[in-house]
Amino acid sequence: MTIDIPFIWTAFKEIIKSLPITLVLTLVPLAVGFLIGLAVALVRIYKIRFLNQAANGYVSFFRGTPIIMHIMAIYYGIPLLIDQVSFKFDLNIQTNKIPIILFVLIALSLAAGAYLSEMIRSGIISVSTGQLEAAYSVGMTKFQAMFRIVLPQALAQSIPNFTNLFVGFLHTSSIAFLVSEKELTGAANIVASTNLKFLEAFIAAGIIYWVLTILVEGISFLLEKRVTSYSRGGVS
Amino acid sequence: MGKAFDPSLIIEFIPTLFHYLGVTLQILAASIFLGLILGVAAAIPRLFNIPILNQLVILYVSFIRGTPILIQLFLVFYGLPAVLQIIKIDVSKLEAIYFVIITYAISNGAGFSEIFRGAIRAVDKGQTEAAYSVGMTSTQNFFRIVMPQALRIAFPNVANSVIGSLKDTSLAFTIGVMDMMGRGDTLISATAHALEVYISLSIIYYSVVLLFEKTLGKLEKFFNRYQKADLSAAA
Repeated sequence: MTIDIPFIWTAFKEIIKSLPITLVLTLVPLAVGFLIGLAVALVRIYKIRFLNQAANGYVSFFRGTPIIMHIMAIYYGIPLLIDQVSFKFDLNIQTNKIPIILFVLIALSLAAGAYLSEMIRSGIISVSTGQLEAAYSVGMTKFQAMFRIVLPQALAQSIPNFTNLFVGFLHTSSIAFLVSEKELTGAANIVASTNLKFLEAFIAAGIIYWVLTILVEGISFLLEKRVTSYSRGGVS
Repeated sequence: MGKAFDPSLIIEFIPTLFHYLGVTLQILAASIFLGLILGVAAAIPRLFNIPILNQLVILYVSFIRGTPILIQLFLVFYGLPAVLQIIKIDVSKLEAIYFVIITYAISNGAGFSEIFRGAIRAVDKGQTEAAYSVGMTSTQNFFRIVMPQALRIAFPNVANSVIGSLKDTSLAFTIGVMDMMGRGDTLISATAHALEVYISLSIIYYSVVLLFEKTLGKLEKFFNRYQKADLSAAA
């Protein structure tokens, strides 16, 4: 087996077409996961009874198991559940008509929620209590103090963590190819097996991921500089 | 898709799958060990600013951090035989597990090199100056003063990498390694009870991760035993 360098370019052009799916598989879970993570973080910070225990269990379990498990369990589990429900109530839902990408998105969102809740929580904790006291002293409500004073600072501080997670989920979306989703890795696999040039196809896919990662890190660096430009002091 | 859900099968599958935990731990142990060596080797050019090697290490770390582990796995699996063929070494008969170990070692090495570099940089310069002022040589200073402190700082990050790596080993089955996931795959083809298999696997992975977290947490406390309480909370 010799390496066919020109084929890397051919494969590259073929694989890059599935970039949108990878981006959807990265951005949607992180957006949904952010909402889940924020809710879970607030539940854990305010120690709301019962919900707190559930939130702890959720975060611990999703961080403690490989993401491939979440994808597989939801990919096989949800159709089974829907089948049962639709059989009982005679709803006549065809589970095999549900696009696979939906299952992957649900699984990745739940996983992202668990990781993000930890980041948001540690961000909130790191904001000094003086900020909260100052907010109360000018007559803000608990809600206003959290959303106008604490959260913006907490999120600004968490940008490096968010970047790592973003890159992590960009890479994690490659697992979706195991449930035959045609994202970058899936496309590379198809190009590889139709042309029997595995190495070249995966080199091309690797380069795409690499460039994406460098871009994301660059953008995050600029964003961080901008967002934290007002907090150069020793407060945070 | 599959047969009706049967919760009793979850319990039934656990012993079968647990049997293959050894393979998973083998991959983990070997790749962590090799990764530590590689990490130290890669951290040296960065710390001492050795030209060319320094740039190479930056490229290596950037590539590993910039690509999914799945892609790295395929690159090693298909690429290593092709590269070794040039120097007339035939590895086509090599078992898939070795490719997995090599991939994870390379991947862990990149992470560890960054952790070590950060940890050594984090040791206060005054420590080195103090060591020199009592007449230590630079080797003595490194091994007796800087390294023990750097290890303490690096430990939590290394522990996180180990746990992350444990979860990543679940991808080894994609190139045909018979670890827990691989065995789970064959169980699914044999019984068509996919959901039960994945729930059993999740339970095993979760237990092992919890066990690792507890043990590594205890070890971290041990390394921090000479630190004042408030300091260890910050580090």
